[in-house]
Amino acid sequence: MTHPTASDFWEALRDSAPVMFGYIPLGMAFGVLFQSLGYHWLFAPLAGVIIYAGSAQFMSVGLLATGVSYTEAFIATLLLNSRHVFYGLSVLNRYPKQGLARWYLIFGLTDETYSLITAKPPEFSKNSRYFVYLTGLNHSYWVIGCGLGASLQSFFAFDSRGFEFALVALFLVLLIEQIRTMKERWVIVFAVCASILAYVLIPNQFLLAAIGLCLIVVIVGARRGEVDG
Amino acid sequence: MDNFYLLGIFAAMSLATMLTRSLPFVALAKVKNHSTLDQFGRLLPPMIMVVLVCFGLVSLEIESIDRGGLSALSFVVVIVLHAYFRNPLLSILVGTGVYVIGIQGFGL
Repeated sequence: MTHPTASDFWEALRDSAPVMFGYIPLGMAFGVLFQSLGYHWLFAPLAGVIIYAGSAQFMSVGLLATGVSYTEAFIATLLLNSRHVFYGLSVLNRYPKQGLARWYLIFGLTDETYSLITAKPPEFSKNSRYFVYLTGLNHSYWVIGCGLGASLQSFFAFDSRGFEFALVALFLVLLIEQIRTMKERWVIVFAVCASILAYVLIPNQFLLAAIGLCLIVVIVGARRGEVDG
Repeated sequence: MDNFYLLGIFAAMSLATMLTRSLPFVALAKVKNHSTLDQFGRLLPPMIMVVLVCFGLVSLEIESIDRGGLSALSFVVVIVLHAYFRNPLLSILVGTGVYVIGIQGFGL
């Protein structure tokens, strides 16, 4: 722990700048969409503070509009965020072993925070103060974005039509990034088929059905040892 | 507007988020078969991303040919920009900009 506090903070600020440019407009898009539900605008930044998951928050707007149960919201979020289960695997040894910082870092392990943390050399694992700053900065960009979008919508009657595309674009970009680095590209074909099948069979439960079908493909693939593509 | 319902949904989603992110930290000590987990971690994310792109497409409510064309154009813009510049922010902002202008400016 040779790094003084100030330089840790500035380093985290510098490293997190690209995330700021991503999170603020995206958070704003969520805030604008959220306002279509008609709740007080302060609930949008609150969602950013306690949920802090981009795709899940966008999904929540649809869930709230259709009036789903708490259980459905819980399960849908669990499935949507299931990829995060695998993020922990590669930062297990980098994170502090106990304390409040550990649990905050785990809570704040978003796609972007994960990619910044894993981009750091292993010797950084001793420096949990840097990780806390980085996670906290990213979290705050997101909350600020959610608040800005929702409050601007409330005060200036911001026209939000079309902004829902930001979500599709985000997923598309993440998909392109993942296709670039993966070997087993055949799973993409299965995922497209699973999506079409889910849309045709159970359009009301599209997300659950499609991700469920994908899970089955991976499980069957793993069991049969045929995932060497 | 039922604020209690809203907070209940937020709480359920917050709990689910924390569960998914903390699971490996809590449970991994007992898991021996890392290769299966690795496989999940490798294969599931891109598949889920495909599902999410499709989910997004469905949510765009493409009910006219014009809207379909605009969606396709915005898609191509995101893919081409990302292929050349590999800057997520640029790809997302410009793609969304094209779509918003089409919807709001041209009434598609």
